[in-house]
Amino acid sequence: MNDMRLIDRAVDMKDIKIAARDVQVYYGDNHAIKDVNVDIADKTVTAFIGPSGCGKSTFLRSLNRMNDTIDICRVEGNILLDGEDIYDKQVDPVQLRAKVGMVFQKPNPFPKSIYDNVAYGPRIHGLAKNKADLDEIVEKALRRGAIWDEVKDRLDKPGTGLSGGQQQRLCIARAVATEPEVLLMDEPCSALDPIATAQVEELIDELRENYSVVIVTHSMQQAARVSQKTAFFHLGNLVEYGETGQIFTNPVDPRTESYITGRIG
Amino acid sequence: MTDATNSGAQAPKTSLIAHDARTKKRNSAEKRFRAYGVTAIGIGLFFLTVLFYSILKSGLPAFTTTVLSVEFTMTQEQYDEAEGTMLKTAKYQGFFNDGLAAQLAETGVEVEYDAKTIERIAGKTGNLIRAHYQENPNTIGSPVTFDLPTSSRVNRYINGEFTKDEVEDSRFLEAADLDLVDVMLASGTIRTVFDWNFITGKDSGVDNPGGAGIGASVIGSFFMMLVVLVLSLPIGVAASIYLEEFAPKNRWTDLIEVNISNLAAVPSIVFGILGLAVFIQFMHLPQSAPLVGGLVLTLMTLPTIIISTRASLKAVPPSIRDAALGIGASKMQAVFHHVLPLAMPGILTGTIIGLAQALGETAPLLLIGMVGFVAREYPEGFIQGFVEPNSAMPAQIYTWASRADAGFYEKAWGGIIVLLAFLLTMNIIAIILRRRFERRW
Amino acid sequence: MPILWLICAVLIIAAIGFVIGRTRAISSGQGDIRNLHSLPSYYGWNVALKSMVPAFFVLIVWLIAQPLIISSVVSSNLPETAIPEGSSAGLIMSEVQRTSNGVSAAVISGDLDSAVLADSAADLSAVTEALKNAGQIVTTELTQPIWDAALSYRSMSNAGTTAMWVVVIALAIAGAVWGLRQTNADFRARNTVETSIRYMLIAAASIAILTTVGIVLSLVFNTIEFFRLYPITHFFFGTEWAPSFSGRGGSSELGILPLLWGTLYISVVALAVAVPIGLFAAIYLSEYASKSVRSVAKPLLEVLAGIPTIVYGLFALLTVGPLLVSVFGEGGYLGVDWQGGGRAVMTAGIVMGIMLIPFVSSLSDDIINAVPQSLRDGSYGLGATQSETIKQVVLPAALPGIVGAVLLAASRAIGETMIVVLGAGAAARLSLNPFEAMTTVTAKIVSQLTGDSDFSSPEALVAFALGMTLFILTLGLNIFALYIVNKYREQYD
Repeated sequence: MNDMRLIDRAVDMKDIKIAARDVQVYYGDNHAIKDVNVDIADKTVTAFIGPSGCGKSTFLRSLNRMNDTIDICRVEGNILLDGEDIYDKQVDPVQLRAKVGMVFQKPNPFPKSIYDNVAYGPRIHGLAKNKADLDEIVEKALRRGAIWDEVKDRLDKPGTGLSGGQQQRLCIARAVATEPEVLLMDEPCSALDPIATAQVEELIDELRENYSVVIVTHSMQQAARVSQKTAFFHLGNLVEYGETGQIFTNPVDPRTESYITGRIG
Repeated sequence: MTDATNSGAQAPKTSLIAHDARTKKRNSAEKRFRAYGVTAIGIGLFFLTVLFYSILKSGLPAFTTTVLSVEFTMTQEQYDEAEGTMLKTAKYQGFFNDGLAAQLAETGVEVEYDAKTIERIAGKTGNLIRAHYQENPNTIGSPVTFDLPTSSRVNRYINGEFTKDEVEDSRFLEAADLDLVDVMLASGTIRTVFDWNFITGKDSGVDNPGGAGIGASVIGSFFMMLVVLVLSLPIGVAASIYLEEFAPKNRWTDLIEVNISNLAAVPSIVFGILGLAVFIQFMHLPQSAPLVGGLVLTLMTLPTIIISTRASLKAVPPSIRDAALGIGASKMQAVFHHVLPLAMPGILTGTIIGLAQALGETAPLLLIGMVGFVAREYPEGFIQGFVEPNSAMPAQIYTWASRADAGFYEKAWGGIIVLLAFLLTMNIIAIILRRRFERRW
Repeated sequence: MPILWLICAVLIIAAIGFVIGRTRAISSGQGDIRNLHSLPSYYGWNVALKSMVPAFFVLIVWLIAQPLIISSVVSSNLPETAIPEGSSAGLIMSEVQRTSNGVSAAVISGDLDSAVLADSAADLSAVTEALKNAGQIVTTELTQPIWDAALSYRSMSNAGTTAMWVVVIALAIAGAVWGLRQTNADFRARNTVETSIRYMLIAAASIAILTTVGIVLSLVFNTIEFFRLYPITHFFFGTEWAPSFSGRGGSSELGILPLLWGTLYISVVALAVAVPIGLFAAIYLSEYASKSVRSVAKPLLEVLAGIPTIVYGLFALLTVGPLLVSVFGEGGYLGVDWQGGGRAVMTAGIVMGIMLIPFVSSLSDDIINAVPQSLRDGSYGLGATQSETIKQVVLPAALPGIVGAVLLAASRAIGETMIVVLGAGAAARLSLNPFEAMTTVTAKIVSQLTGDSDFSSPEALVAFALGMTLFILTLGLNIFALYIVNKYREQYD
């Protein structure tokens, strides 16, 4: 399936889901993100790549205001989701995060049963009318997380008992269960072995049908495999943003080229 | 699998700006939850405030006493006349009353009173006056100011602990006397002064709350703390060094560890039983002695000191040990020359906090007989300070609190202020030590 | 204080030994310390330790053993008839000891002619008079058997003390000589000294075990003694607590149930105050509060933990009790007549709860902070509010630890003494009314052991059985709680 990707890429120009304009992020006195402008398309996988500490994770976390939980963090500029500024005073970060879900670097299932892990989001957002409804949502989410077959017989077992790759897919299913519009993934495969990574990558590709997916990754191969668009961050700047194929085969900026060829990073 | 993904229904688009009803409900639940937290902290701080308010309100009067302050001159003739009569003190009292009358007249006071009234307010004054002139004959003929303590009932009236309406006329006090007290108070003849006797004095009998002081039991506590310090610091440090630096992983070490963590949680009253059974019944050490109290408190404090000392030893990085061992020091030398001095501020801080805990501990002292003993005397010497019966601050407070005369309650609160002042000082020293010498590796 | 002089003597011998040992070591190295195995002072310490340690060890053992041995010898020589009705061998023996000590003091002060001591047929009333003149406490007229026993007690004590002096000093000198003979350039002085220091460290660490053994022994022996005098089933299942005050009467009812009930009732009230407040305070401080609020509120709350329990006791007795009566008592604000006096379960329970707030809050704070941030992130990432995250993710994850903290607090509450002694009352009852005075195990331990009662009576011995129950109860709770907390910590480490 990877081979088809390059053909897909050039074609569809989709709606813009998230638009970032002149975004600055500060950690105390540290200016972590500088003047970032980026348009993230709907039903597309966008990869953020760059060396460690370049600010790609920070930027990702500012897309659903996860940075709010850090006291010293400050965000300036505009980030628009469907044309609405998510840093507007009237916006409730809770409602925002229901629309913009997140999957983290390390699988972090709650110390609850598999079922309760997935049902958690629908429950707090009141998505299910009754038990049967909830069961259906959970099953659907687990199927979309490509883990249903593995866990359907042990839904009441703790989620922490699964293997690393299963845990991460459970976390993805958990995020999907709340019916988000955007899914942010912060290095979702960095704690996984190659087989589990392959499974998760396949899953990401399927998720593209319904969501806009933004993925931060260290691995350029992974970015090349799963994404249609790629953004390269360096020292807090967005250096280059474009079609994945173009970034990897014909980068414009010399820094991008150095990174891709392994000279910086 | 693909079936499921394709059937993924998109929720109807909603705006982020407009909050739906559910979000509103969730946000108010959030606010409520936060309010619970604020309330809980508020209640905690409220309790703290009430506690300190009642301590200060009830305890501060213990530090003051009211005196009848009269300046008068005794002439040589009056002195000779008084010494020549049979009832010498009565004569002195007469002169004193004359002096008082003159002073009151000077300030323009017009209240009817007789000598009995003065006696009810200030007691029999003749003795004190006579004693003064016997000791200082050279002051005869020159003006002298006498500050004579008022009776405890007058004292309590002035402190607002009862009103004129509540007074029952008796040979101790009549309601009418208080009119004179009011006037004297207004003219400055009766005034409130700091009561040094409370700080330096000894315990009085059960019927004299006014004369009770905490001084003797402070000394008792001091000797107890000396025992605790001298025993628990070296033993605690030695035990911690062994457990942290030398102990092999074996059953004996495990046993010691389990024992220490459990001893730290044994109720203090059980240590009192231990003290009673072992030190008093078995070893026949003297009852009520600070030595025994100190021994019991040492055993109680040891786990605390060991736990904090081990934490300080653990905080010294292994590289220091390696450096010493690397130039050929023995393990013992590495520990005693390098690790221990570096850990010392932490150890001292822990020890002071342990001592502060021990200073306030009461329950074990009840069982080894320090309560109920009336500390009427200071110990005669250093050694006697350890072995002769004495009280200790918390025990003295308990003794006062359980006496029938309500006048002692004020003393008990006052004793608490003294005790807390000591604890505060110790904790401040500990904090300063920690700030000053704390090292971040 | 002759023993102090003995200690000084040993110390002086050790100091002399140190100096000689050090000098000798240097001279055996031909004046060049590089020829020695260890630094010279180690040779000195070797000598000093060898003279001090055995001498002090023997001294301590002797001091403990001598009175025990002499007492048992003298009391076995006491004729049966010397023990009057209503007294016991223990009381007579303490009288014998008092007399013996009194005689020694009177001889020193010159009120008693030492010639009288040789004369067992001395005029006892004259001796009593002389003792009283010397300011020695002699309760009654001396009787012949007590006088004889006191004299033999005194002579044995004197002989024993002399022997102790001789033995201890001889040991100190012998130890010093032994150390000195070892001293030469090749002797591994440092290793020897370090080994003995190591043993001293082990001994210091083992004091913890000794303490536990001491606690257990002092409880066990007296408890067994109590159960010989009082049926064990009545103690554990009796519903009445009514010790007789005559001291030796068999009419006492010593059932523990009312005491346990009072203890548990007060503890439950205390936990009902402390757990919600402490837990919510911990949640607020660790999840919501800004750094500055936290840095003020946390130490302020912890002040509550540093206040001695006697202060809380007085607070209960003089402030909270009267306050509660003015609300719930007769003619109070509520117009109900629930509370008769200031001392009540509520009074003690509320004040104990206040004391436990910082205990619960700081333990819970630690435990909540140990929940990994990734779980919170996971929940926020799904759009949960902070309170939903706390209630549904953080608290369930922290639950075992919090349960452990509550159990530790419960064990504190059960073992707390001063607050209940002053605030709960003295009447043992099995009642449901929280405004009534009740009493606890700890309060009764205090009241049974602080009177002038005879320690061999069941009324006094029952305190040890109560102490045993308390010890086992709190120990069990603590071990269980620590087990839970540790297990929980491992989960996230």
